[in-house]
Amino acid sequence: MVDYNLERLNFLIVDDNKHMRGLVISILHALGAKNCIDAGDGADAFKELRHFPADIIICDWDMDPLDGLDFTRMVRTGSDSPNPFVPIIMLTGHTEMNRVVEARDAGVHEFLAKPISAKGLYSRIRSIIERPRPFVRAGIYFGPDRRRAISRTYMGKERRKAPEGSIPDAEELTQAEVEALLNG
Amino acid sequence: MSDDNGVRVIKAPDTLSRKVIKGGPGAVDPAALERAEAVIAGMADSYLDWVEEDLVKIQGACDELKANKDKPKAFLDKVFGIAHDMKGQGGSFNYDLMTILGNDLCRFIESIDDMTDPDLEVIVLYIDTMKIVISQRMSGDGGEEGRKILSGLDLVFKKLTRKD
Repeated sequence: MVDYNLERLNFLIVDDNKHMRGLVISILHALGAKNCIDAGDGADAFKELRHFPADIIICDWDMDPLDGLDFTRMVRTGSDSPNPFVPIIMLTGHTEMNRVVEARDAGVHEFLAKPISAKGLYSRIRSIIERPRPFVRAGIYFGPDRRRAISRTYMGKERRKAPEGSIPDAEELTQAEVEALLNG
Repeated sequence: MSDDNGVRVIKAPDTLSRKVIKGGPGAVDPAALERAEAVIAGMADSYLDWVEEDLVKIQGACDELKANKDKPKAFLDKVFGIAHDMKGQGGSFNYDLMTILGNDLCRFIESIDDMTDPDLEVIVLYIDTMKIVISQRMSGDGGEEGRKILSGLDLVFKKLTRKD
């Protein structure tokens, strides 16, 4: 395992629960991160992004008035988005397959199931550092390539092809793959 | 780059590799990870304060639900939201039972179409059980007492909902 120094990275933590924000920031500080700011919902976070050049966003799903999914879509596709490419880690207590697929299709890079741990959070950060993914614009989808591993021998149908105005299918997921995404 | 299907692949700017240093002082090695886990463990007392606040909030939401049984949707959502937060925090601080109970309560609320009195009793039961877990400081899986609580809860749940 390669050890990374996170000191120079800027983290934006978005959660409507102040205790969760405090917990994530405490973990990041313990991992050596120095620049962490937080926001209580997606709308505040979007404002923060205008003047804070976040390198990684750690975002909760359930928030009012703008939840984690809408925030992710705004970051990815908003015409006034300060950084459509910024990696987003979605914190979620929702582990059902349809929810995970929905978040992935909004353009999140990584998932971290609650309750969180320091090891879990660092493994997602490491994954983002070690496996930068190209971005894809397909239909109305814009975000990191949802195919984590490209099979050169894949002979199935081209699922990215889709009518204009729709989100083309990415990989279909089994429940086991969903668990793997959530648990690293 | 665009293929025949109108899919454009774009190389994202790689700012992280320029800002992250491999190894050296301050890098996240296994010892640093252990220290970070210890920081979380050190916040357990704070967690107990937070969860006490959450228990007061969820009891308040439950009281509102009881008072509005004929139009329960908004109040069920409120109870769900607090239980969901409690589920997400417990395990981080070694209160795994709170994560289990919070999750089960959320799943139960999701299953309610038309709330009945027994449904409400089940919700009250879960909240009371969470209060016991915290007041008795039942960390981890709660040991033998924790197993008894979960199996007792399961029995009452089945009786109230007539699900075997």
